[in-house]
Amino acid sequence: MSEAVKNDPILRVEHLCMYFGKGENVKKAVDDVSFDIYKGEVFGLVGESGCGKTTTGRTMIRLYDATSGNVYFKDKRIVAGTLSYKKEIKELKAKIAGKKPDGTALETKLSQEEITKANERIAELKEEIKKAKHDHKDAAKHGNVTQIQMIYQDPVASLDPRMTVKEIIAEGLRIQGVKDNEYIDQKVYEMLRTVGLVEEHATRYPHEFSGGQRQRIGIARSIIMNPEVIIADEPISALDVSIRAQVINLLNELRETMGLTILFIAHDLSVVKYFSDRIGVMYFGNMVEMATSDELFAHPLHPYTRSLLSAIPLPDPESEKDRIRIRYNPLTDHEYSTETPQFREIVPGHFVRCTTKEFEKYQAEYNK
Amino acid sequence: MAEKKLEVKDLTISFRTINGKVQAVRDISFDLYKGETLAIVGESGSGKSVTSRAIMGILAGNAIKDGGKILYDGKDLMKISEEEFQQVRGDKIAMIFQDPLSSLNPIMRIGQQLTEAMLLKNKALRKESKANLKAMFAALDSRMKEVGITDAQHDLAKFKEFGLEHSKLETSYTEALDNATEALALAENCILRIDSKALDATLHSDLLQFEQASKRSKDYFVVRDRAAELDEAVAAVKAAGTPKDEAGYAPVKEALTKAVSVLKEATEFEMPNTFTLAYYLKNVKNEIPQMPVAEMNALTHKETEQGFMDAFQAKAEKAVVYSSGETDKARQAAIELLKSKLPVLEKAEPVKTEVDAAVKEMKAAVAKCLDPLEVTKDSLTHTFGTSIDYAVDLYFGGFKRNEKEEKRFAKSSAKHEKIIARGKTPDWEVIPMSLVNLEAARVDMADTVKEQIAHFEQQLAANENADFAARTLEIVDYLKEQTENSAYYLSKHVARERAIKLMEGVGIDNPRRRFYQYPFEFSGGMRQRIVIAIALTANPDILICDEPTTALDVTIQAQILELINNLKKQRNLSVIFITHDLGVVANMADRIAVMYAGKIVETGTAKEVFYEPAHPYTWALLASVPDLDTKEKLESIPGTPPNMIYPPKGDAFADRNANALEIDFEMQPPMFQITDTHYAATWLLDPRAPKIEMPKVITERLERIKARNAAKAQKAEEE
Repeated sequence: MSEAVKNDPILRVEHLCMYFGKGENVKKAVDDVSFDIYKGEVFGLVGESGCGKTTTGRTMIRLYDATSGNVYFKDKRIVAGTLSYKKEIKELKAKIAGKKPDGTALETKLSQEEITKANERIAELKEEIKKAKHDHKDAAKHGNVTQIQMIYQDPVASLDPRMTVKEIIAEGLRIQGVKDNEYIDQKVYEMLRTVGLVEEHATRYPHEFSGGQRQRIGIARSIIMNPEVIIADEPISALDVSIRAQVINLLNELRETMGLTILFIAHDLSVVKYFSDRIGVMYFGNMVEMATSDELFAHPLHPYTRSLLSAIPLPDPESEKDRIRIRYNPLTDHEYSTETPQFREIVPGHFVRCTTKEFEKYQAEYNK
Repeated sequence: MAEKKLEVKDLTISFRTINGKVQAVRDISFDLYKGETLAIVGESGSGKSVTSRAIMGILAGNAIKDGGKILYDGKDLMKISEEEFQQVRGDKIAMIFQDPLSSLNPIMRIGQQLTEAMLLKNKALRKESKANLKAMFAALDSRMKEVGITDAQHDLAKFKEFGLEHSKLETSYTEALDNATEALALAENCILRIDSKALDATLHSDLLQFEQASKRSKDYFVVRDRAAELDEAVAAVKAAGTPKDEAGYAPVKEALTKAVSVLKEATEFEMPNTFTLAYYLKNVKNEIPQMPVAEMNALTHKETEQGFMDAFQAKAEKAVVYSSGETDKARQAAIELLKSKLPVLEKAEPVKTEVDAAVKEMKAAVAKCLDPLEVTKDSLTHTFGTSIDYAVDLYFGGFKRNEKEEKRFAKSSAKHEKIIARGKTPDWEVIPMSLVNLEAARVDMADTVKEQIAHFEQQLAANENADFAARTLEIVDYLKEQTENSAYYLSKHVARERAIKLMEGVGIDNPRRRFYQYPFEFSGGMRQRIVIAIALTANPDILICDEPTTALDVTIQAQILELINNLKKQRNLSVIFITHDLGVVANMADRIAVMYAGKIVETGTAKEVFYEPAHPYTWALLASVPDLDTKEKLESIPGTPPNMIYPPKGDAFADRNANALEIDFEMQPPMFQITDTHYAATWLLDPRAPKIEMPKVITERLERIKARNAAKAQKAEEE
């Protein structure tokens, strides 16, 4: 694995939150997640299904509107969460009108001083929203958005069955306003060759291909825009073992030749270990541990990471026989009643979500 | 060696398609023993799913059963009718499918779908056990009479009487124990919740469930002397109701702690031997003796042995020895008859009337060779009749004219010639007029008989130094099991509890609420777990898992594999586990069969296949999966599996194998034996073959594993 150039984060995710639903039924799919991705590295995001890793990836390219938090791409803000601001404005406005957010009257009305304060806050928030809108537009105008591309999990569902391979791959270019057909053809053929297909495949339809070839088409579609970052959302979990190796090898090659940075979302830990430089472990919307992949597998600290690592099946019947799977129960494993946990750095580059007490425990464990 | 549950012999299956006949499974054979897991590994399209579907009898409509046998419980699953198959499918052989959506009924609640099978199965099991018991009793009775034991009827009635009592006692005990375990888990969880200040609706429902479960946990053996204490604790919890704040929960916690101490003792209680106890109650004294369980077990055991069992066993053994001798005599006679009639079938042109007469005699002779006192059914002898009939029908049916086929043949061969006349080479072949190979069918007739003769000879040899005491014990165990089953009544309430426990077992949160939901309310992974739970409710003999965990993530995968493994141990299940991921089966499988292009290319115990893989395809499969220490480039398998309309002449994997030998393209390799259990079909094992090393990735990994295991062993030794 090539050593990533440190101190040059190409993507910076800050306190990203993505909530679904309203009121009591709010589901915190992503709750205050922060991490950096450095140029040229592969950042693996793991966790069980439903823990919010796909939502994180999708929010980062604004497939969802973030609730709050920011994402910076090359120090330029591309995602700014505004939903929380909008909610706050609504509440403040209701307060000024002498009502609670649910419409019932407030017991004591606000004093004049408080009203002016609230109005000032509203103006402030509106300014923030305006800034966010401007940033979003700006990012789109300067093509920053097209420099981040996504590869989807299901190669069957993510390709339009009525379009030929050429149309599918060239769609991005056409949307960007490229009209020169010859250039597009050349570019499509080049991409097909890069991913290990041949020119004749361009006129065929997706159903004529095998699973591995379809995933290659998906990859060709994402790299034609010459992106700097690729978000690969479980690109191999729908594929046969022998084809998995082909796709991973292809991604590895592309990463070296094109200098790609990859956010690799997966649940197969041995593949993530093999492919990633750094790994973030997510559990129920929170990032619980983050470290370089060797470090994470050598010194897992968070109990959830440990349980995850203990569940990996190995191709070795002897050691499998006496494998003990560690179970993780957040109720018994943590004492969060007195202190909310925070994301702390145990040793340089190794972060764990923990309380101060746990922090000391982990440090002691590490130094032992 | 354990008992053979399922035998697959020379199974060949193909599919009729527009482009021609696709040969999906080509001549595979394997055995499945009781309580073992056989993993079938291969890429998609290697025929592993087709094999499992043939065992389940759910092949697609265009499938052609070219030949072979699937022997299970005295039946040949390839030849029985759909009505007979319905007795087996789901009940005896259950399957977990790849796609969970298609196996759930969209308009039935999950709970109903889960309990349905349990309740139906329970009813069927009672009926079946009663019939089995009756048959076995009758057989024992008649055989005992023949050896001069006249009071057999009396003994058997006695056995049945206390057998039923045993079933009652055991049901009551296990139910109470189940409930006590549940109550204990709930109480502990509630205490945790109170401690961590999670005073929400879940806590309230847990408390409610705890109350119910503790009420049902009282049995003579489970919550024995401290029932009053438990009642008190439950009453206290009930009295507290649902307080708003933490202070209100103080008495609840106190009561729960008390309950936990009672329940803990109860669940750690030694299990009484209900079988001997039942005898004691029915025949010695109708009162449970007041003493510790261990002592009681010893006492009742002694009473049962002296009072009944020893004498009964001696009598039964006499009957078994006699029965076995009689059957052996019948076998001798049958062998002679089969041998004398064999030339009729082996004629160059067999005559139908002669063959029919010979077959009739043979069938009668073979039918006499079934020992009525045999617990494990002799599948081959049972199916001899259907097998020979099938072979004869196939041969003589081959002479019939099929005008439609003749027309099609004439048309397509004319077309074929036309293309050749034009100077082109057609890319298709003419399908022959008759799909029956007459010569092969004729040989098959004689082979069926020869196989039976060899089987009898083998049995005769085995019977010369048979352990009749063990066989008698087997019969006693069988009787015990059947009486137990014939009286076991599963109530809807218990079925519900079991289903909920199973749902918890497969990792579904809040199963009590989920129990009443519809399939569409579940996510994909959840649905898969439900399907697994449903397959397990029927308590099958053989469980076929067709890539059950492919769509699930690691933690759940590990949970489900553990679940299947535990069930296998508890119920002595036989499992066929189909997957494309070799890594998954290392912990599950006892034996592994690697399939490629419709053939088994390598088979052996898990250790042999993982540590000493012999076939290049197994190497390729192992090399394409990264493990935690892999750093090098992965070796993917180039190309795609061959088109099975035109199966390759030589080794099917030769095209994708960089190190293929010349002979690989010309001749199919036979199965080379490496050890007693390890076989592989590759020319590399031929003594004339050049030495080709395994890929570096695997040798290095094996070295790492060896070093790690050696270090572990050394560490264990030091300790």
